[in-house]
Amino acid sequence: MAQHLGAPATPIVAAGDKVKVGQVIAEPAGFISAFVHSSVSGTVRKIAPRKDLAGREVMHIEIEVEGDEWMEGIDLSDTLVTAIPEDNKAILDKIKANGVVGLGGATFPTHVKLCPPPGKKADCLILNGAECEPYLTSDYRIMLERSKEIIIGAAIMKQVLGGCPAVIGIEENKPEAIRKMNEALAELQAGCKGYDGITVQVLKKKYPQGGEKQLIDAVMKRQVKSMGLPIDVGAVVQNVATSLAVYEAVQKNKPLITNVLTVTGNTLPVDKQHNYLFRIGIPLSYIAEVAGGVPEDAAKIISGGPMMGKAIANLDATTVKGSSSLLYFTREKTERGVESACIRCGKCSEACPMGLEPFLLQKYARNGMFDELEENAVQDCIECGCCLYSCPANIPLLDIIRIAKGDVIKIIRSRAPRK
Amino acid sequence: MTQTIIWTIAIITGLGIILAVVLYLVAKKFKVEEDPRIDEVEKVMPGANCGGCGFAGCRAFAQSCVEAPNLDNNYCPVGGNEVMKKVAAVLGMEVKEKTPMVAVVRCNGTCANRPKTNEYGGYQSCRVKAQLYTGDTGCAYGCLGCGDCVSVCQFGALSMDPETGLPVVDEEKCTACGACVKACPHNIIELRNKGRRNMRVYVSCVNHDKGGVAKKACKAACIGCGLCAKTCPFGAITVENNVAYIDYEKCRMCKKCVAVCPTGAIHAVNFPVPKVAPEKPAAEKPAVEKPVAEKPAAPAAAPKAPVIDAAMEAKLAAMDPEKAEKVRKALLAKAAKAAEADKPSAAPAKEETPEAAKPAEEKKVEPAAPAAETKKE
Repeated sequence: MAQHLGAPATPIVAAGDKVKVGQVIAEPAGFISAFVHSSVSGTVRKIAPRKDLAGREVMHIEIEVEGDEWMEGIDLSDTLVTAIPEDNKAILDKIKANGVVGLGGATFPTHVKLCPPPGKKADCLILNGAECEPYLTSDYRIMLERSKEIIIGAAIMKQVLGGCPAVIGIEENKPEAIRKMNEALAELQAGCKGYDGITVQVLKKKYPQGGEKQLIDAVMKRQVKSMGLPIDVGAVVQNVATSLAVYEAVQKNKPLITNVLTVTGNTLPVDKQHNYLFRIGIPLSYIAEVAGGVPEDAAKIISGGPMMGKAIANLDATTVKGSSSLLYFTREKTERGVESACIRCGKCSEACPMGLEPFLLQKYARNGMFDELEENAVQDCIECGCCLYSCPANIPLLDIIRIAKGDVIKIIRSRAPRK
Repeated sequence: MTQTIIWTIAIITGLGIILAVVLYLVAKKFKVEEDPRIDEVEKVMPGANCGGCGFAGCRAFAQSCVEAPNLDNNYCPVGGNEVMKKVAAVLGMEVKEKTPMVAVVRCNGTCANRPKTNEYGGYQSCRVKAQLYTGDTGCAYGCLGCGDCVSVCQFGALSMDPETGLPVVDEEKCTACGACVKACPHNIIELRNKGRRNMRVYVSCVNHDKGGVAKKACKAACIGCGLCAKTCPFGAITVENNVAYIDYEKCRMCKKCVAVCPTGAIHAVNFPVPKVAPEKPAAEKPAVEKPVAEKPAAPAAAPKAPVIDAAMEAKLAAMDPEKAEKVRKALLAKAAKAAEADKPSAAPAKEETPEAAKPAEEKKVEPAAPAAETKKE
């Protein structure tokens, strides 16, 4: 049930119920929450806790698959719907009802993001086409194959946000995607209304270019304040995959029940490295099987990118809306070196995209110096892992800082309760 | 030249005198009035500044003692009753005696009991590990084994046993300050009553999983069968969320639960070894909690318990009749063998119980195994 940021959804089906593809099986349980739809048709076997990929018990709805029967009202045809509906409220309702969440990784419910709080106005919609992490190519793939749909999705979101300009940011190492997107954009702008003000911007290739704050800086040259949200500087950032989901939700009335997974890694032969379109909720072990089995020398399997993704402890876990990849790595590639003393070389500070000083933060964190941690903005850490990657002394900087960040944010919240 | 030196000395001396007078006056004017008893109380405190009492340190505790109307809510776990008596004497107050506590590690997941399912290569800290995932064994509740508790203990009372991979409490050094309880991200460590002659009975498991799942992950897990709760004559045991808990206030240490536990998850420590081995009285030199070593010491409370009791009967009823009959026969045969073998030695009778319980437990859970095509939310 916990497929998105915010409150887990509440199941509304019971064991024994028949469900169809696209049927709502769980309702949002709060403002920041989202609908969950069945990705298969069949009978609900049970609603019980099941271990997720970290081994934690999470409520799952298990469905015995029988056939492939879709809900009525879902447009399954391939025809492109380019006319954008005019009623913004209807669009938002559709996005919400179809369970669309941000697919960049954080899975923040999209309808919430598209309603800026009163008094704040979006100046720019940024579509994130910078792949969030190395190794992943799922966003690249959908930009190649579904470029027009992405642009229509962008036009819809742009209209909801009040017609601000939209920028599609793509990293320079994906020339094919840039060309495709530009072509699709030119075609749409020539043929229909409502596509003005959308541009493609080429971004520098670096990690973490796909980070929300980094992207805003690169595109708009504005910096989000500490503990601030992108909307504070007038930006709304959406992933290209989210844009595609918005298109499908609004134009085709299709709920978010599929996502694209990259299966790759340094142990996998090149001919086996692919992107797959999967229904959400399939066990990872099944995906691994379909993709040709787990390589023998794989010592670590990661879900969601080599830098921020999590090692999978349980391959029987299922995919969720935010799943983006399955990566296999050998022992040599993942093993950490022996930790030695910090010599203050400053490599971590250089690497930190947020301009923090990880070596200092880890020192404070180890000694529980929370005031100093807050002064040095530990709460701004985006947990990208660059510091850890760059550290020549193999100090587990991120591991230590992440814990401290959690503590500090708790302290800040307890001081001034967020409304 | 000499004049310069004289002048320098004169100026500095003069400056010193003036500043001394200023300082004296300021000190007089802004003097902080403090109860002199705070100092006196602080003198009798252990001075560990461990925070076990809930205050920032020994002085803060002393201050609160002085300000409080009585000493009921203040207790120094490190100093114990002796220190509290001294504090009471200083303040002229009464103090109620409290039973001393000790930290107890409630996990039995030794390397042998709990096979590893994956490997952890990250930073060796339980907190970091707990945030990433549920640990490198199938049990999501047990000890993570990185020793956060050991590093926070100011009294050197905790150490990791390399053989079992679990922390071990040195009961003589443990002051029950509670630092380890707070440090453990899985809440395994609990402060329990030290008990008469250090004897304690407790459930050494916190696994909330259902019986079959728990047992698959760890041989010595509490499976929540409820046998102990039924056996306990004092109503001290409750089973909640598939795990039993013994209320130390109610427990009279009859050890009946230890005998019936099918997985050996209930531990009895520091009980005198009955007759068989008259080497050293166990109470004198507290044996460190070594689950495996303790097992044979369990007394012969089992023989009287029926081989197939009510709980087992219910499990049998839940199975299909053919299977149930087989299990029933196996149980009876084993019990008969055990009875023949040796009456006074308790070990065999106890050992049989887990063996017998295993098939019933496992068969019951097997059908729930998930198929490939499942859907998750």
